[in-house]
Amino acid sequence: MSGAHHDHLVLDDVTICYRRRPAVHHVSCALPCGSLVALVGPNGAGKSTLLAGILGWLPLTTGRIVWNGHELRGRPQFVGWLGQRRQQHGSFPIDVASVVAMGRYGQVGWWRGFTADDRTAVTQAMATMGIAHLADRAFHELSGGEQQRVLLARALAGGAEVLLLDEPLTGLDAVAVRDVLERLQAWVRGGRLVLLVLHDLAIVRAWCPYTVLLRRELIAAGPTATVLTEAQLARCYGRRFVEGGAAHG
Amino acid sequence: MAEELFAPLTHPFVLRGLLIAWLLGVACGVIGCFLLLRRLVLIADSFGHALLPGIGLAYLWLGPGHSGLYLGAAIAGLLTALISGLLQHVTRLPEDAAFAALFVLCFAVGLIILQQAMTPTDLLHYLFGDILASTMDDVWRTWAVASAVVLALCLWYRPLLLEAFDATFLRACGGRPLLVHLGVLFAVVATIVTALQAVGLVLALGWFVLPAAAAYLCCDRWSSMLLMAGLIGGMAASAGLLASWWLDWPSGPCMVAALGAVCLSCMVGGRHGLRARWRSARHDADESGTRCERT
Repeated sequence: MSGAHHDHLVLDDVTICYRRRPAVHHVSCALPCGSLVALVGPNGAGKSTLLAGILGWLPLTTGRIVWNGHELRGRPQFVGWLGQRRQQHGSFPIDVASVVAMGRYGQVGWWRGFTADDRTAVTQAMATMGIAHLADRAFHELSGGEQQRVLLARALAGGAEVLLLDEPLTGLDAVAVRDVLERLQAWVRGGRLVLLVLHDLAIVRAWCPYTVLLRRELIAAGPTATVLTEAQLARCYGRRFVEGGAAHG
Repeated sequence: MAEELFAPLTHPFVLRGLLIAWLLGVACGVIGCFLLLRRLVLIADSFGHALLPGIGLAYLWLGPGHSGLYLGAAIAGLLTALISGLLQHVTRLPEDAAFAALFVLCFAVGLIILQQAMTPTDLLHYLFGDILASTMDDVWRTWAVASAVVLALCLWYRPLLLEAFDATFLRACGGRPLLVHLGVLFAVVATIVTALQAVGLVLALGWFVLPAAAAYLCCDRWSSMLLMAGLIGGMAASAGLLASWWLDWPSGPCMVAALGAVCLSCMVGGRHGLRARWRSARHDADESGTRCERT
């Protein structure tokens, strides 16, 4: 795999170990910008581990991760992130605008005040996620779908070019799922990249032009139609999964 | 009447007590907000118990001087904060279990040491405190700790906010949740050690939890909650001390009772208190009734 490549997030021979056991083995692929990229695989396949590796939270045993010719790890200003489970305090006294503003902390640091640009970034992130009208509402008063959009706006507010979303659609109804995906799709058109961990293959087929299939090692990466084939899914999930018809999801 | 009201203010020891009550109330109220939202309020209580072995050993080794006892308590508290914080992060023990395991052990060891070292009067002094016996040294010590707490809050407002609201996102921003967490625990220890003389170990929990709970029931913004908890802590504790003078009641319990009275009134009449809930429920019932009538 070549190293630096513009318009791609390049994973070059990435191996990540937990207590000396590899959770992700020698993964190499180039994820194209300007589209939603699905990261798919069974539970324990190393999807969240791979995201943690890209974020720089876990050391790479081998390999490197390159974005536009630069090592990406340890540069929080380039990467936005939304975690798998709700980590936020359920009834924390905070308004929506303040939650979204947290997304700028990676840029402005702990002490510098917000400039006009920072405030514009926060406003734009809220507009992108369609939550500008909720700016003064208390975060804990919002529905699950609205809260998820607020957290996505927080991830966008940092101005990151790469957005890593770990199961961002969990707990959302069909309308909210469609709304979130439409907004993310519009956001990536500017040449950005969204890497989503997803389990619903129907959603992957409908919304993500590019898919990475992972089971500790890379099963396949490429255009979704060529990756989500019965043979590849059988390798990834086991024969029974494909025979059960879930592969056509 | 006015003379009676202001009589306590003519005594220097009451003024010293009021200053300490105000400073401690602000510091404890602010820290209490973090403990409340991180569901760690009982930790403040547990820390009190964990300080006992430090006080006992300092008494045995350094004698009954206040400085030595503060030093012993501070070392015991900091060690406990460090070990319990690490226990939680490096083992699978949940935080409350890590604290409980450590503190109950410390309390048992502390009681054994204290029984060997102190007279019952000394022991009672550190368990329940006596704010009116405070010296100017106590005032300066309390001022230094309260200022440090407020200054630290201003300097690290953002990481502290993230740690309380969403610790994983703090990590995503390049922060260190463990470091921030330990910082909060150290602030708790420093404040409790400072409060030894004035408040004692047993009632210290009230200073942390009551103003924070009262502010939590009234505020929708984190910054207003911190401000309100600090103000309630300072004002209610001072009022409690003055009330204890007028009524000739013990000062420590009176200050905690005053903090409790504010908390109870917020529980009933606060923005998120019982009255607001009852009103909201009645409003919902009225609305659904109107809808049924229309259909």
